Amino acid sequence: MELFLGANIWEMMHGGSTHLPIALMLVSAVFDALGGLIRSERVRDRFHAAGLFTLIAGTLGAFPAVLSGLILARWEIGGQGALFWHHVFLWPAFALLIALSVWRLIVRGRRTRAGFLLYLLAAFLAAFLVSAAGFWGGEIVLGGS
Amino acid sequence: MRRGFFGLEFPPSPAAARQVIAALLAVVVASALVGGTLGGANLVRAGIERARTEAAAGSPAQLSQIAAHGQKLFALNCSHCHADDASGDEGPDLHGLTKSDERIKAIITNGIKGEMPSFAKKLQEADKEALVGFLRSLR
Repeated sequence: MELFLGANIWEMMHGGSTHLPIALMLVSAVFDALGGLIRSERVRDRFHAAGLFTLIAGTLGAFPAVLSGLILARWEIGGQGALFWHHVFLWPAFALLIALSVWRLIVRGRRTRAGFLLYLLAAFLAAFLVSAAGFWGGEIVLGGS
Repeated sequence: MRRGFFGLEFPPSPAAARQVIAALLAVVVASALVGGTLGGANLVRAGIERARTEAAAGSPAQLSQIAAHGQKLFALNCSHCHADDASGDEGPDLHGLTKSDERIKAIITNGIKGEMPSFAKKLQEADKEALVGFLRSLR
C-alpha cells in the first residue's frame, strides 16, 4: 500500500503495463522454439500460433508502456544513470518487437527453415533486450537514484 | 536453381523472396514508429522546457528563494552522502531526477531501507518542498 501513496497515475500505469510485453515476448520466443522442435505438424502449428498471438499482444502492450514511461520520464529519451541504461535496451527492444510482428504478419506460415531460424534468433534477442530494459526500469524504482 | 553463399537459392524461391520483402517492410515500419516516438518525445520535451522557462521567468525571485532554502537544507542534511553539488558520492547523483515530486518527498520522509535514513522527524513539509525545488533546479 505504501508504494501507491507516493506514486502518480503514470507510475502505476507504467509499472502495471511494462510486465506484459516482457512476459509475452519471453513466452513467444519459447513457444516458437518449442514449435521448431516438435515433429507433429498439428502440435507444431499450435505452438507457432501461440508464439504469434503472444508476440502481437506483447507488441500492442508495449505502446501504453512506452507512452506512460515517456510521460513519467518527462519525455526524456536518453537520460542519465539507470534511466539511460533503461533506454539503451528499451528503444532497440521496442523497434525489434514491432519489426518481428510485422514480419510474422506478412510471412505467416510460408517461411523457409533459414528464415525461421533467423526469426527465432531475433525473437530471443528481443526477449533479452526487453528483459534488460525491465531490469534497469526496476533499478530506477528500487535503486534509489 | 543453383546454390550460392550460405546455401541461399538463386533465383530465390517465392517463400524466400516474400521473407526478404517482409523483413524490409518490417524495418521500415519499425523505424517509422520508433523514430516518430523519439522525435515526438523530443518535440514535446522542447515545448515543456520552453513553457517552463517562460513561466519561471515570471517569478524568478520566488523560485530562487525556495531553491536557495532547499540548497541550504541540502547542504545540512544530504550533501554528506550525495556530495556538495549533488553529483553523487555514497548516495546517487540527483541531477535530472525522473521521479514525481510526491515520490521524492516520500523517499525523503521514509528513506530507503538499508541505504538512506528517514528524515520524517527532521524535515517539515515546507522543507521537503524546498528540497524538491532545489533538486528540480539542478541541471
